[in-house]
Amino acid sequence: MKKRLSILMLLLVAGLLLLAACGGDNSVDSDETDTTVTDNTTDEKPSEPVTLTFYSEDGEEKSFDDPIAQKITEATGVKLDIQYPVGGNDETIPLMIAGGEYPDLIFAKGDIGILIEAGGVLKLDDLIEERGDNIKAMYGDQLDRLRNSLDDPGIYTVGTAGVHNELLETSGTFQIQLEVLRELGYPEITTLEEFEDAISTYYEMYPEINGEPTLPLSLLGSDWRWLITVGNPAGFAGGFPDDGQWSVDTNTGETVYKFLEPEYREYFKWLNGMNAKGLLDPESFTHTYDTYISKISSGRVLSVADQDWNLTDARFALIDADMEERTYAPLPVTLGEEYVHQGLKDYGFTGGWGIAISSTTEHPELAFDFLDWMASEEAQILVNWGIEGEHYEIVDGQRVLFDEVRERMNTDANFSKETGVGYYLHPFPRWGTGAVDSNGQSITTDTREQIVEDQLDVEKEVLAEYGMELWIDWFPQQNELEISNHGAAYNFTIPAGSDIQIIQQRADDITEQRITQAILADPEDFDDLWDAMLDELEAAEVSKLNEEMTKLTQNVLELWSGNVE
Amino acid sequence: MSKNLAPATPPNMPVTPTIRQKGKKEKGMQRIPGQKNFWQRLKNQKALILMSLPFVIWLIVFRYIPVFGWTMAFQDYKPQNTFFEQEWVGFKHFKDLFNEPTFYRALENTLGMGILGLIFGTLAAITFALLLNELRFTKFKKLTQTISYLPHFVSWVIVANIVTTMLSVSGPVNGFLEMIGLIDTPINFMANPNMFWGIVTAAEVWKSTGWNAIIYFAAMAGTDPQLYEAAKVDGASRWRQMWHITLPSIRPVIIVLLILNIGNLINIGFEKQMLLGNNIVAERALVIDLYALNYGIGMFRYSFGTAIGIFKSVISVILILIANGFARKVGEGRVF
Repeated sequence: MKKRLSILMLLLVAGLLLLAACGGDNSVDSDETDTTVTDNTTDEKPSEPVTLTFYSEDGEEKSFDDPIAQKITEATGVKLDIQYPVGGNDETIPLMIAGGEYPDLIFAKGDIGILIEAGGVLKLDDLIEERGDNIKAMYGDQLDRLRNSLDDPGIYTVGTAGVHNELLETSGTFQIQLEVLRELGYPEITTLEEFEDAISTYYEMYPEINGEPTLPLSLLGSDWRWLITVGNPAGFAGGFPDDGQWSVDTNTGETVYKFLEPEYREYFKWLNGMNAKGLLDPESFTHTYDTYISKISSGRVLSVADQDWNLTDARFALIDADMEERTYAPLPVTLGEEYVHQGLKDYGFTGGWGIAISSTTEHPELAFDFLDWMASEEAQILVNWGIEGEHYEIVDGQRVLFDEVRERMNTDANFSKETGVGYYLHPFPRWGTGAVDSNGQSITTDTREQIVEDQLDVEKEVLAEYGMELWIDWFPQQNELEISNHGAAYNFTIPAGSDIQIIQQRADDITEQRITQAILADPEDFDDLWDAMLDELEAAEVSKLNEEMTKLTQNVLELWSGNVE
Repeated sequence: MSKNLAPATPPNMPVTPTIRQKGKKEKGMQRIPGQKNFWQRLKNQKALILMSLPFVIWLIVFRYIPVFGWTMAFQDYKPQNTFFEQEWVGFKHFKDLFNEPTFYRALENTLGMGILGLIFGTLAAITFALLLNELRFTKFKKLTQTISYLPHFVSWVIVANIVTTMLSVSGPVNGFLEMIGLIDTPINFMANPNMFWGIVTAAEVWKSTGWNAIIYFAAMAGTDPQLYEAAKVDGASRWRQMWHITLPSIRPVIIVLLILNIGNLINIGFEKQMLLGNNIVAERALVIDLYALNYGIGMFRYSFGTAIGIFKSVISVILILIANGFARKVGEGRVF
């Protein structure tokens, strides 16, 4: 016994020594960071370029040396060292906080809340007031939308979403193959009923495409994309704008977990019917993303309900394989005539996420000047259009991209990464698609004329038959839709570990499983299953969730009203 | 975050018999006999102790010191605060955990799939090792063994893709079943919650049988050939020899591995369930580790995640004690 004890003691001493060694390291580190905080540069522009580290949650491996980056360095004296999450981004921010070491600039998306709480980022109010002319000009009266919360109405981030948007394209709604429209003689499709008619008629005519069975409607409900191909299309069909998992009354701030709304029940009942009639791809909820994309690329999926960016690969594959007529047209489909499709809604500047300056940076003012310069007209033209004479020229006072530049922009996925043109838009402060410069020209390269020019020939042909120029002409126009006072609920910063977060996770788990089961069930059982799901949600305290979320929305409304000091 | 109590083998002290040095009695100095004994033994074994020291240090640094992190479970842990600034909340996180119906579902699934994996995994590995052991053609035997453990090195991401493709409605398994006329319409295997445990177990068995068989195979190789010769003289068939000689000779290995595996029942990970699962089978696919990820660390609830880790460790210790006690009762080889 004694022998054992003594040896244990020995080991303990060894262990303690080791611990002490580790502890020593830590203290040195924190000393260093402490001293650097006070060392501020006050120069307007340093003579030598200064390298600022920039952690971007959406970043990727990229060196800051393309022509656009060089111009940015020339103008601001700043070089960026872009860091990005490696292997999942859940832990990066918490690790930064635990270590107390931050990069100079941080784009943390929804994790900004815990950074503020940990004191890791600077309050920018004074900097904006003193030297943020470009930022003030860009955000104008929407500056309030950058504020953090009612309890702490400071501004900690700038950027991400475009300011002043005018949508020229929609995304996320039902989409149907151009060929189906052509074959059926260009029918008017604005309701689910008409939509179902169109695909079932075409399906009967052509049960096989290219020797493989036709799939009238395919979804991707096996992973997180359930949200964008199953959950969100239901909202669009019910005439709701996209508020993530919420349904918000933008005037009162009343917020409800969206699957409680009767319109959702109606939509999924229809989807259940589609499945029973054999019109829904039976593998919709089990196939992987790769399988889904390969099915679409083979041209045998008549319709999808998906975001454009999720389908990019399939679209390129179809064009490559000379099946341009199998690409898709967006449809303003709703449950019935009385619903108004919200595809073109202007959410205003959605606020929430953005780039913050860390509290440990040696160059807070330089970092801020950099962000402010990015918001200037000069910078916005540079990052959107590139360099005059190299990427665009001025014809009759208008900026026009060189043909080969535009060609590469539309077909080469690496274009913006290699040249930098269009690369430094997200997540920096930026103007939206509707913004114009001091000469009245569009700041972004997406103008009406240019979208028309980029359309495929088949697309033009079909559009002409409908008497339209752009697909958005099919949708209820932006000025007919109510303006969102709260931005979009999915951009709200929800406190980490709060009731909202926990209950919402529970509710999301329940709805994803139960709705999937209800869609695949016998139509006779649908109502029972749906009611059972509502009971289950109630048991998971969804009413408390609604209450808390309503409070949050009302806080945002008050914060953004401009009356908070 | 969650600290798994690996089957706790205590830091093994070298127990080589020491040569007692008799007749060297010291005079005049009053020493406590035990202490003297200790230093002397230490001196005699210094080479052995030096050799084992790095491992003991490793064990302490990586297995025992992290246990201090368990204090997180009793705090509302915030990473930016130091240890002394944390707020202590007692058993709050454990109460939250035990009030969560989803947690019980996760526990059921974890133990269910764990037990299935243990039973079929062990049976398959032993059977495979037995068959391999009977092979007389050495080159073929070596080749088979090499091929059989290759799947162990394939990532679960790939295995999951292979499984879903094989079992999809238009996949080869359905094609085969239709061809031999067993079914008329294809079965959507991945969309049937009742089949999920089975699919996971089958994939696991496919992936790990060859690898797990190695240790049994090695144990069989150590069996005294004289036993087989004697049995042959007595007229025992190949089956009889397998049953009465090979299996009994590897019984201690089987028991020890079983005990260790039972201790790990709850640590089945979440990769396979996450990669093979989907929304239809989610109820049967949710396991504790995935639950800890989604509801703990994924929401920055470190304390809650740690509470789950502690719970898992406690269950592991209980399981291993039960299994070991059982082995001791029936008089078989045991871990401690």
